[in-house]
Amino acid sequence: MFTNGYKRLQKYILFSMILTPMAIYVLSLGTGYFYFINSLQNTTASTMKRIITDHRQMIESFLAERQGDLSLITDVYTYQELADSEKLPAVFKTLNRKSGAFKDLGIFNQRGVHVNYHGPYDLSGKIYRNESWFKEVMEKGHYISNVYEGFRKVPHFVIAMVKVEKKQKWVIRATIDTYFFNTLVEQVSIGKTGEAYILNSEGRLQTHRRSGGNLMELAVENGESVSFHDGIRIFAQDSADNKTYLTATTWLNDRSWLLVVRQEEADAYQALQSATAIIIVITAIGSLIIILVSVVLSANIVRRMELMDSEKEKLRFQLVRAAGLAELGELATGFAHEINNPLQIIKNEKTLIELNLNEQVDETGTEKTNTMAEVVDSLNQIDLQVERCAKITQAILKFGRVSKFESTSINLLEFIPQITTMVEKRTSVHGIKFIQELPHNLKPIEGDPAQLQQVFLNLINNAIDAVIDKHGASGGSIKLSVSQDDVRKTRVSIADNGVGVSNDNLGKLFTPFFTTKPVGKGTGLGLSVCYGIVNKMGGNLDVSSIPDEGTTFTVSFPATS
Amino acid sequence: MDQVKVLLVDDEERFLKTTARFLEKKGFCVQTAVNGAKALDVLKLMLIHVMVLDVQMPILDGFETLKISKKHHPSVEIIMLTGHATVEAAVEGLKTGVFDYLMKPVDLDDLVLKISAAHLKYQQTQQKKELAQIKNIIKPMKEIMKDMK
Repeated sequence: MFTNGYKRLQKYILFSMILTPMAIYVLSLGTGYFYFINSLQNTTASTMKRIITDHRQMIESFLAERQGDLSLITDVYTYQELADSEKLPAVFKTLNRKSGAFKDLGIFNQRGVHVNYHGPYDLSGKIYRNESWFKEVMEKGHYISNVYEGFRKVPHFVIAMVKVEKKQKWVIRATIDTYFFNTLVEQVSIGKTGEAYILNSEGRLQTHRRSGGNLMELAVENGESVSFHDGIRIFAQDSADNKTYLTATTWLNDRSWLLVVRQEEADAYQALQSATAIIIVITAIGSLIIILVSVVLSANIVRRMELMDSEKEKLRFQLVRAAGLAELGELATGFAHEINNPLQIIKNEKTLIELNLNEQVDETGTEKTNTMAEVVDSLNQIDLQVERCAKITQAILKFGRVSKFESTSINLLEFIPQITTMVEKRTSVHGIKFIQELPHNLKPIEGDPAQLQQVFLNLINNAIDAVIDKHGASGGSIKLSVSQDDVRKTRVSIADNGVGVSNDNLGKLFTPFFTTKPVGKGTGLGLSVCYGIVNKMGGNLDVSSIPDEGTTFTVSFPATS
Repeated sequence: MDQVKVLLVDDEERFLKTTARFLEKKGFCVQTAVNGAKALDVLKLMLIHVMVLDVQMPILDGFETLKISKKHHPSVEIIMLTGHATVEAAVEGLKTGVFDYLMKPVDLDDLVLKISAAHLKYQQTQQKKELAQIKNIIKPMKEIMKDMK
């Protein structure tokens, strides 16, 4: 049952020791992790935003520049000059000197006839009146197309502008090198998987997509996202190949193109993954350490408690045994007295019978018969049995106070430290300061070491009890001092700062069976036995006490020769 | 030779009766008392050589009786007899001039020997006293005789 109690206690200590730091530990790590995720997400989003903003600006300024280029040409050259097939290559050369983005250059009249063309294809003379781009440019004055195949069956996109000259409208159109434009748009560096591309309003790729998708192809996963929105949208999106992309989109080119900048989420949050891994490792190691330390510590604590308790139990047992013996001694003393008196009378009666019998034999001269011999035998038996009883009472008396003690020379300087080591554990457990004051030289005293040990142990244990009652686990002090005066009378005093003894009780202190301890805790024999022992050695046991301040017991031994 | 006058003091009447009977048969003159107070009364009334005294008795116990009798009747030799022999008691007894200290149950033959020994001591003490008295008487007589010469 006791062992179970310790196991339960150990479990309780173990769980408290593990759970408390663990909860704090996990909470702090979790909080840190949460804030880290938040901050990482914010940083990533703002990076994405910055990149897409920059990228849009770059693309828009590129388109604006190209429009500016065309506009410059229409301002510098007249329709007549540009319609001159001799002159157009020179103009194209001038135009391309600046950026090299143009693939070809064409001039259209009001009716949509391709009047002049410079470029790799033979498009002169083709009529564009019914082409949608031509209609739109005539209407709006300028135009940037989606990527389409047109007459040349090669993906491309064009920039066109209308110029009104002498009330006559004409159109200048240039094809942008898609390779050049692609490179421009693709140029984005975010992580390993970062990419940028342009979709038209139908969701078709206007530039090459690094993660897969050729020009003009429908980028299906983005079907949903081509709806119009203001500014920049940032969201996570699953792609057709089951990868989640952190995507930023913004509309440009008069809302006809959607610029998409995206990065695989795993790539974007790579820092998070390594942080998570580190946190898991730290948590695992930390938890392991907490558990290990808790297991070792709790086992240690409980083992010490067990040791302390068993120590206490042992001490208690010794005390009870000593007290029990003393009690038996008291009992035996009374018993011996009560038995010895009747034994004496029996013995007397037997002696008288014997005497009378002998007298009668002498007087009457009767011969000793067999009957007489039997009577004498019986009388001898009575004597024998009385002696036997007497021996038994003597044996019982040895347990009691009257038992003889073997007196030898005792060197207190060796004897007292032996006793104090016996109580050392108990004093240290209860935080009691134990002071010993032993002189350098001391003449030995006469006494019975075993009984004297009982006396000192009893007095010190009483002092410890008194100190614990007053101070609990700290603040108690016990002082054992030895002194020897001129006539070599030796005094050993044990002073404590415990509860003290009231004046009423002081007088009864050495009375057998007197105790202030609760019923069952003390037999009230300890001090009376001590008193008896010290008295037997020819010494004296004195007590002085101030209630609530402390008690001093003094054992004085007679001077030795 | 004069009879040895013995006083037995014990609270056990049967002990007194049997011991007295035995001692009388052995030629002692025996008086008995059931407690210390009665014993002191006997001491006042008659000459006693040896007193056998039990320790634990009602009214006046052995030690008290011992003290008083030593004070008022110092010549009486005392043998303490008890069923409850403690070392303290023995020491106490011997210090006060007890002849011997016996533990119950005692063999009556042994008791007779002890009483005889105590009586011998009593006689020696008495003789010393008488001798001293005689010396005290002779001394002035010698001086007178000297003067007469």
